Amino acid sequence: MAKKKTKKPADPHGEFRGQRTEADQERRIVIDDAARTPTVLYFGSGIFWLLVGSLFGIIASLKFNLPDWLGSSAALTFGRIRPAHLNTVMYGWASLAGAGMIVWLTARLCRIQLQLAWVHYLAVILWNLGVLAGTVAILAGYNQGMEWLEFPRFAGAMIAVGFLLFAASIIQTFRKRNVDHLYVSLWYILASMIWFPFLYVVANLGIYQGVIQAAMNWWYGHNALATWFTPIGLAGAYYFIPKVIGRPIYSYYLGLLGFWAFALFYNWNGIHHLVGGPLPTWLVTVSIVASVMMVVPVMAVAVNHHLTTVNHFRMLKFSPTLRFVVIGSMCYTAVSVQGSLESIRSFQEVAHFTHYTIGHAHLGVYAFLSMILFGAIYYIMPRLARWEWPYPGLIKAHFWMSIAGIGIYVIALTVGGWFQGVQLNDPAIPFMDVVEYTKVYLWARSIGGALMVVSHFIFAFQFVMIIKHAGPRRFAPALFRESAPMQREEREP
Amino acid sequence: MSLPFAAIIVIIIALVAGALALSAFIWAIRTKQFSIEQLNRGALLIFDDDEPVGTPQDMVFTDNSTHGKKEDEKAG
Repeated sequence: MAKKKTKKPADPHGEFRGQRTEADQERRIVIDDAARTPTVLYFGSGIFWLLVGSLFGIIASLKFNLPDWLGSSAALTFGRIRPAHLNTVMYGWASLAGAGMIVWLTARLCRIQLQLAWVHYLAVILWNLGVLAGTVAILAGYNQGMEWLEFPRFAGAMIAVGFLLFAASIIQTFRKRNVDHLYVSLWYILASMIWFPFLYVVANLGIYQGVIQAAMNWWYGHNALATWFTPIGLAGAYYFIPKVIGRPIYSYYLGLLGFWAFALFYNWNGIHHLVGGPLPTWLVTVSIVASVMMVVPVMAVAVNHHLTTVNHFRMLKFSPTLRFVVIGSMCYTAVSVQGSLESIRSFQEVAHFTHYTIGHAHLGVYAFLSMILFGAIYYIMPRLARWEWPYPGLIKAHFWMSIAGIGIYVIALTVGGWFQGVQLNDPAIPFMDVVEYTKVYLWARSIGGALMVVSHFIFAFQFVMIIKHAGPRRFAPALFRESAPMQREEREP
Repeated sequence: MSLPFAAIIVIIIALVAGALALSAFIWAIRTKQFSIEQLNRGALLIFDDDEPVGTPQDMVFTDNSTHGKKEDEKAG
């Protein structure tokens, strides 16, 4: 009896399960191998643009504090540096890093090797050349004059072709998939493969003039978030939160309901940017209604992610991925509710044309999307590079500096921007008094921005180290704290 | 009343977009993406036998490190 006990595993299906486990491991390794180079290229170039874009951002911010600084160079004036910052972080950092996450996630979720992997080399080259050419053109003074569409058309065309090549590979991988059911992250990814190229090409057609051009501009500006950046963030959150915790998403039904409600309501939102503008009132009102209705998909996501994480918050002490992604997901709820409020006319009477809007934009693109991308990269890279992050202390520094930076930034601009709006609405207060009032908040903005810039360089350093397999080799995961709550014995080398 | 060229283009594009969305929805119903059975097991798709439910994935780093070690050994 005793002999039998020592030979047989406790699990009656242990032997079979062991074979399956090895097969699963091998399958994942083969899938990761096929996606490795494209994913790393997207991540690497995304991080490069993050550094460039952050430097443009801090220069633009400091110009509010020191208006004469770098004023003698036309290329470094606020009117050029600011759109250069916006376009490099959106089409460089967020888009390329997001593309990397999508490549890896699609292959994993379709349980098949990445198809047409070679097109990604061409896509990365075209995409990067497009961002480079567009940025140089903006700095040289060539600009289409529409927010989010500043890149000249030839640069936009390169990005569009790069995106179409990227999308072709993702769609082909989906067509060859080894699973019947589409996980909710895949819904968001596939939708963005159709929505975004469609949006980008239509917006760049150049057939719009006058009021229609303004309407198209904000239809595009807001839908770039709806059709590309938000789906990237939500696809990541729906995968990494349950995966890292080891617990299925709380309500899968709610997840799909959230996706279809998102698809129904989000694309109507853009025109709320033109409240008070020369557009038919009904058009703006429809947009405001749709913006408020966004509460439905946002709450579906918020409830789902919160109830998946509840009772597992202690894991935030350990896992860098989970901490970045959960913070990002919480900020998605915050920025979306704030966005619904901001669309309302009476709210816009105060907040529109103030620093409040800039705080809102950074809450979305940085605190929501970038945090999720950071978390995704911390999860994906060790599995692709076969090398752990060498310095967990630097992950901690990255996290705290970026979270402190964005916290200071958003709070300062939200509070300062709101009171700026209140004062601007009061004809008794001279305009220059309002400008003086905002100065302290603008310094806080620069301090927050500087913290984020430093954190990006730390992140980039770690990325280079993991690519080069440099630094101390770790056989255990790089966690915020060494003593993980479970699986301790499995982590020993 | 004649419509401006831009409006005609945008209306055509909107119709194509609507048709695409509708066909995606019909495809999803036809392939039973919303069937009770698929919805019940959909959430488990991200797990498998060696990354099962109940195992926090950031606490485990065995697959690739082992794989990497094997390669390192082969490389000498």
